[in-house]
Amino acid sequence: MNRRWYALAAWLTIMAGSLLAAPGAALAAEEFDPASEFALPTWIEIKVFGIDMSINKAVLYIVVATILTTVVVSLIARNMKVRPEGKVQTTVEIAYSLMKDNITDGNLDPKMAARWFPFIGTLFLFIWFSNMIGYIPLPFNTSHTMTIAGIELPTFALYAATANISVPFILAFIVWISYHVEGIRAKGVVGYVRGWVPAGVEGFMVGPILLIEALSQVVRLISLSVRLYANILAGHLLLLFMGGGLVVLLGMGVLGSTILGLATGTLAVVFFLFEIGLVATLQAFIFCTLTAIYLDGAVAEEH
Amino acid sequence: MDPSIILAAVDVETAGAYAETAGRAMGLGLGTGLAALGTGIGLGYIFGKTIEAVSRQPELKSEIQSIQWLGFALTEATVFYGFIAGLIAFFV
Repeated sequence: MNRRWYALAAWLTIMAGSLLAAPGAALAAEEFDPASEFALPTWIEIKVFGIDMSINKAVLYIVVATILTTVVVSLIARNMKVRPEGKVQTTVEIAYSLMKDNITDGNLDPKMAARWFPFIGTLFLFIWFSNMIGYIPLPFNTSHTMTIAGIELPTFALYAATANISVPFILAFIVWISYHVEGIRAKGVVGYVRGWVPAGVEGFMVGPILLIEALSQVVRLISLSVRLYANILAGHLLLLFMGGGLVVLLGMGVLGSTILGLATGTLAVVFFLFEIGLVATLQAFIFCTLTAIYLDGAVAEEH
Repeated sequence: MDPSIILAAVDVETAGAYAETAGRAMGLGLGTGLAALGTGIGLGYIFGKTIEAVSRQPELKSEIQSIQWLGFALTEATVFYGFIAGLIAFFV
């Protein structure tokens, strides 16, 4: 227990030091730009057939989230005990019960639940880890550098892979393809498309209703990705503005900046707790719940 | 009132140059703000109805709460659709 506190104290000291040193130096050089939090400078340039596949900050965040999802959870699973000791196993068991009982079994019939639980569980953990590491300041902001003991180091910044539209969109796209394939497999192409039309609609109304339903299928793709992306992006923007961006943009002199900074800094702490306490988990939960609901809707007999 | 007073007070030449930026900023602000209006009403409904339901059927509290968070997240997302539309209006 003691070692953990020392690690936390060391981390906080580094954070406080860099917080005090970095913006001051950046402001002195008149180069502090709050928008650079979302900038993605290329680190290693890779081009495959003209497609830009360069390694940048977002790629690193995806890799970290993937490692946490696969390696860490596998290690915890391997060290499971019949009588849980410590909080780690209890936490994982609560998460498992949420994924298994609440999200998967609560929305899918047993056969579908058994088939899709690994996918939905992985999705949940990946999104959750992506969101959560997005709220830990990590030294990956290469747009600004700080100099400590003569070595130029990237500054600490918040970033999340899910705050970049491409990541939620690809996740939503995989889900979208999956439930269409599952629906076609269960009912055949004609039966599946007919299943979009609610029971009781007959005659000439089938055409327009089918059109609206087809449109709503496309909207699902957009809403599923934008919901996750915009939630995380808005959270990060809020933290960015409250945690200093507003003070820098308004530039009201020393006294005004201090008063405004104290007020917005307090708000930043409140919003930070709100984000890690509710939004990060809730967005992972809602993404997976909707995945399960869409899968169930695709194979359900009655619409 | 003589409109020339307003025109004299505002330098039309400079105002014209900022008109587009101002319109974009208003699009972002109004888009997000109006979306927040609807979301606020919706969230109030959800939590109000949850309180009502729990006070009528306290034994169903956990079930109602899990549906409540589903409704919360779905409703809350609508403000971000307005926000994203505003960002598109602002930057594109």
